Amino acid sequence: MEIATPMKETTDIILEKGGNPLELCYQCGLCTGVCPWNRLTSFTLRKLIHKSQLGVVDFEDEELWRCVGCNACVDRCPRDVEIPHIMRALRRVIIEVGAGIVPHSLRISEKNISAVGNPLGEPPEKRMDWAKDLGVKTFTKGTEILYFPCCYQTYDPPAQKTALATIDILKKAAVDFGIPDNNVVCCGESIRKAGAESLFQRLAKTNIDIFAELGVKKILVTSPHCYHTFKDEYPELGANYEVIHLSQYLADLIKDGRIKLTKELNKKVTYHDSCCLGRYQGIYDEHREILNSIPGLDFVEMPEMREYSLCCGGCAGRLWMESKKGERLSELRLEQVLEVGANTLAISCPYCMANFNDGVISMDKAGVLEVKDISELVAEAL
Amino acid sequence: MNFEPKIVGFCCNWCSYRGADLAGTARMKCSPNVRIIRVMCSGRVEPTFVVKAFELGADGVLVLGCHAGDCHYSEGNYKTMRRMPLLKKMLAQMGIEEERVRLDWVSASEGDRFVSIVDDMTAKVRALGPFKNNSKEAKHG
Amino acid sequence: MAEKKVATKKDTEPKIGVYVCHCGSNIAGTVDVPQVVEFAKGLPAVAIAREYKFMCSDPGQSMIKDDIKQLGLNRVVVASCSPLLHEPTFRHAIQEAGLNPYLFEMANIREHCSWTTEDHGEATEKAKALVSAAVKRIYLHQPLEVREVPVNPNTLIVGGGIAGIQAALEIADAGHKVYLVEKDPSIGGHMIQFDKTFPTLDCSACILTPKMTSAGSHPNIELMTYSEVEEIAGFIGSFKAKIRKKAKFVDESKCNGCGVCIEKCPWKADSEFDLGLSQRKAIYTPFPQAVPNIPVIDKESCAYFLKGKCRACEKFCEREAIDFEQQDKIVEIDVGNIIITTGYDPFDPTPIIKYGYGKFPNVVTGLEFERICNSVGPTGGKIVLKDGSEPKSIAIIHCVGSRDENYHKYCSRVCCMYALKYSHLIKEKTKADVYQMYIDMRCFGKGYEEFYQRLSDEGVTFIRGKPAEVTDRAISEEEKGKLIVVGEDSLLGTVIRVPVDMVILCIALEARADAKNVAQLFSISQGADAFFIERHPKLDPVATMTDGVFIAGCCQGPKDIPDTVAQASAAAARVLALISKGKVELEATVAVIDEEKCSGCRICNLLCPYNAIDFIEEEEVSRINDALCKGCGTCVAACPSAAITHKHFTTEEIMAEIEGVLV
Ligand SMILES: Cc1cc2nc3c(=O)[nH]c(=O)nc-3n(C[C@H](O)[C@H](O)[C@H](O)COP(=O)(O)OP(=O)(O)OC[C@H]3O[C@@H](n4cnc5c(N)ncnc54)[C@H](O)[C@@H]3O)c2cc1C
Ligand code: SF4
Ligand code: SF4
Ligand code: SF4
Ligand code: SF4
Ligand code: FES
Repeated sequence: MEIATPMKETTDIILEKGGNPLELCYQCGLCTGVCPWNRLTSFTLRKLIHKSQLGVVDFEDEELWRCVGCNACVDRCPRDVEIPHIMRALRRVIIEVGAGIVPHSLRISEKNISAVGNPLGEPPEKRMDWAKDLGVKTFTKGTEILYFPCCYQTYDPPAQKTALATIDILKKAAVDFGIPDNNVVCCGESIRKAGAESLFQRLAKTNIDIFAELGVKKILVTSPHCYHTFKDEYPELGANYEVIHLSQYLADLIKDGRIKLTKELNKKVTYHDSCCLGRYQGIYDEHREILNSIPGLDFVEMPEMREYSLCCGGCAGRLWMESKKGERLSELRLEQVLEVGANTLAISCPYCMANFNDGVISMDKAGVLEVKDISELVAEAL
Repeated sequence: MNFEPKIVGFCCNWCSYRGADLAGTARMKCSPNVRIIRVMCSGRVEPTFVVKAFELGADGVLVLGCHAGDCHYSEGNYKTMRRMPLLKKMLAQMGIEEERVRLDWVSASEGDRFVSIVDDMTAKVRALGPFKNNSKEAKHG
Repeated sequence: MAEKKVATKKDTEPKIGVYVCHCGSNIAGTVDVPQVVEFAKGLPAVAIAREYKFMCSDPGQSMIKDDIKQLGLNRVVVASCSPLLHEPTFRHAIQEAGLNPYLFEMANIREHCSWTTEDHGEATEKAKALVSAAVKRIYLHQPLEVREVPVNPNTLIVGGGIAGIQAALEIADAGHKVYLVEKDPSIGGHMIQFDKTFPTLDCSACILTPKMTSAGSHPNIELMTYSEVEEIAGFIGSFKAKIRKKAKFVDESKCNGCGVCIEKCPWKADSEFDLGLSQRKAIYTPFPQAVPNIPVIDKESCAYFLKGKCRACEKFCEREAIDFEQQDKIVEIDVGNIIITTGYDPFDPTPIIKYGYGKFPNVVTGLEFERICNSVGPTGGKIVLKDGSEPKSIAIIHCVGSRDENYHKYCSRVCCMYALKYSHLIKEKTKADVYQMYIDMRCFGKGYEEFYQRLSDEGVTFIRGKPAEVTDRAISEEEKGKLIVVGEDSLLGTVIRVPVDMVILCIALEARADAKNVAQLFSISQGADAFFIERHPKLDPVATMTDGVFIAGCCQGPKDIPDTVAQASAAAARVLALISKGKVELEATVAVIDEEKCSGCRICNLLCPYNAIDFIEEEEVSRINDALCKGCGTCVAACPSAAITHKHFTTEEIMAEIEGVLV
């Protein structure tokens, strides 16, 4: 029989890297049952936490990279254990202490972000090329709102549509806004959850300095990840902004009558709550309000919605990692979408978009189902 | 010799005084600079006590009560808490640094917390140096 | 020097004795005791200063007593351990020597000095400062009178569950009058809803109804059911209570409990007693063995009150007991003590959406299951599903709402045990498989572990882990039509799915929804979990901070019946002790207002946590009721006119102490 001996030193390192919530866990196992991965893999979350408590973690185990930080477990945990913090700490031990192996695909994204400021490895000087011909002004001192599209929405064509639709809407509503220059970098949210703490610190500092120089006070984002990190994590470094996600802004624009949705969209739409806007921020109603005010649109809910939404599987760097067929949360979710008979899946997160688009192709549903950012639907209905 | 501050400590009978007792019973060591005066509740501590202590040569004043919600008399400590900003303002006018007065909470089971507050307070006041009481010097000088 | 003063000013001038204790080596090992004694001798008004090995010992105490007698000391300072330990000892000693006990002061040179200080020099200096403070302070001490008030031998008990019944019987059997106030139409509380009780499995009604009947018929117990306390005034020994007796619309003096009215009443509503699992009539007793056995008419469901027509009950009642004109009555009573036994509420598991309570009809709470098992319950004691069929498998989920940051942090203490009880009842009455889903089995009481062992022998399956959800989404043939409990079995380390027909949620016990009102009414405190707080968690478990008000049973925190009964008896004993003593001493260290100085600003009125300060309109001054004042001193500190004196903690005394510690 394999014999384990508690390794206090290892536990101490995990604690030092921010894993201290693990001390609260009383091993009830609720989280294992809640974690979406249990539907596809034998990821035993509670056990991993117990191993961390004892300091007997196998740092080579790929389970350490499972957690997407969807927070489903945290919402229910009877001891309020911030489980994703433990996972982040374990990854920090791997990256910073070199205790295990970083998955190859993740390492590439990390290198890209580190070298050129975006996970796709695209040239930084082309970051704002997508907006070249749109006549959008670059943010300068005194502009009211900074619109900050995420790396995917600047470089990746399907996600770019979100940024384009956003510009379209903002112009129609005559909003005073500007976009950043090429010097901004990835917000760093996901790579931090993946354990690259010092890289995150560097990215955050770069953006914070630029924003400070420009006198940015109000930031509009189209990625829930940028939202979370600007709003909740940058303040750790002393920065403070009013951060708005486009969905909140759209709901207001519609309510105030600043944009009018007139065109009929004859689609059967369901909405997927992203973890970062949903469980992290409690933003649920806005999306329903927006979709319900689009004429002709038939809105249906999936049984797993709002607080109980199923993660797309793309957060915390998982987007950049390879998930085997049959181990993809996105495909599980798409089955649910098809079950309610929707032909359009509305989302409001670039990772969801990327993951679901891949899923639609791998499940061979390209003609049956399309994935659209909520901004695209609104722009279409204008 | 190094400057050793004199600090007057007010402890309520029910939590903080017992916390201080526990520190002793558990033989924890702490700086001897804080001398404790027992009151029934932190709510009894009048701003004038604090002022008086400084007049009489104290370098700092520490007021300890029960944690929020634990006051033996339900809410005496909230009253103390509310009085604090006023007191700090008064002290500021008298030229007494804010760090010389501290209000904190220690339960009957927190001997360790008592010790760390006392040590921390002593260190801070030691760093500030002796409190120079102008009125006193004027009188005696 | 001091001697001279005494010679000129006679006895009125303070003559202080200072006694420094070695406490073996506890103090003397660190503090230079002779040096402290020398120092004390030099302090003003000190007539004598001595040291001794153990001041608290008999010889130590005699030394003080002798000095009082021989030297004419009129104030005593002992420098030793914490006053919380030996202040009563020394106060008693000087009282024996003829001094008022408040002419005593202690300097804590052990806990606060010798035990916490390493350096001997520093410790000695600190000890001197503490002695100097005590001497400066005691110089100003005044003798204080310990006041006595008589105790009214009647007792008010609020809440007629097992706790209230037990306490009432104990006091009544001792020959004293009890008013037992219960808000429902019958006494009995939660216990009467149960079928059997763990760990002995006695039938709940069999052991409780005899007690209920004797409480109902006891010459010393005045039962006030369907009643609530509205107002409390006064203090220990003499409280005045106003009680609202809600209109029953049945004349208690005429009704003989024949039940014809109930039989004839054509109108129905959900039965509160059966938690909505069955119906009762508009005129009803909650259950057949109700005490008193007198029905009440529920206005909300009675046809006559709703529509102006019916009065069937009146027609059939031979004793003409129905009285539709009856009004609520306010009754005033005088009592010396109060026991609060208002019990608990069951936790509502609806917010835990994933457990499907309210969504799946066969997910039931523990309390509902008690009714289902009960032979006079909605199913006649048959364990059946909503469709009437017998379940083939049942899952019992522990800790629902307990030990959970999202709901209640605490452990409800009875759930593991009643869950085991259910296993037994299920096994006895059906062939169903039983799954216990627990986090930790807590079987701490007498006979509890044995009960656990016995149950294990009856073929119950134990699964360790807190289930994540109860769902009806089947993923296999055998799951179809079942409720599937999904969660990790933490001992296997895998997720398991257990298809069952019925799920029982072991709900937490929580503080009653109206606990806050009750707390305010009786001036007692609630903890963070909203249960009432006892005076001391270990050493004074049934008293509260309000003298004369005691608590027992689940209103103090979740507990089982044996503990409830033990507390109830304890509370009764405390009350009986006060009754037999006949009088109570009131703390002397209260606050008094100098009405000359009082400006009538009323600032103090609102500050007092015990509502002890009244504003006397005619005289435009505030006055403190010294029977209610607990001597916290909050008002004293706040009075802008410095009109309030806190006896034994006067501003002058504290100022002197400040001066003393700063030597
Ligand atoms: C499902 C379940 C099963 C249990 N099984 C067992 C068991 O098998 N064995 C065991 O030992 N324990 C068991 N318990 C615990 C048991 O219920 C308690 O220990 C016991 O009922 C406590 O009695 P009590 O008198 O303190 O409170 P309660 O039974 O709650 O009685 C309180 C009474 O006060 C009345 N009241 C409340 N407020 C007022 C007011 N303001 N004015 C007037 N009256 C008021 C209420 O109407 C009620 O009649 C179980 C608990 C639960 C939830
Ligand atoms: S749900 Fe919370 S307490 Fe339970 S095992 Fe998971 S982390 Fe630990
Ligand atoms: S955050 Fe989400 S993915 Fe991570 S462990 Fe919790 S439930 Fe699983
Ligand atoms: S009046 Fe009718 S409905 Fe009302 S209690 Fe009597 S019989 Fe029932
Ligand atoms: S000392 Fe406290 S209890 Fe007494 S009257 Fe003043 S505020 Fe009330
Ligand atoms: S009794 Fe401790 S603060 Fe009131």
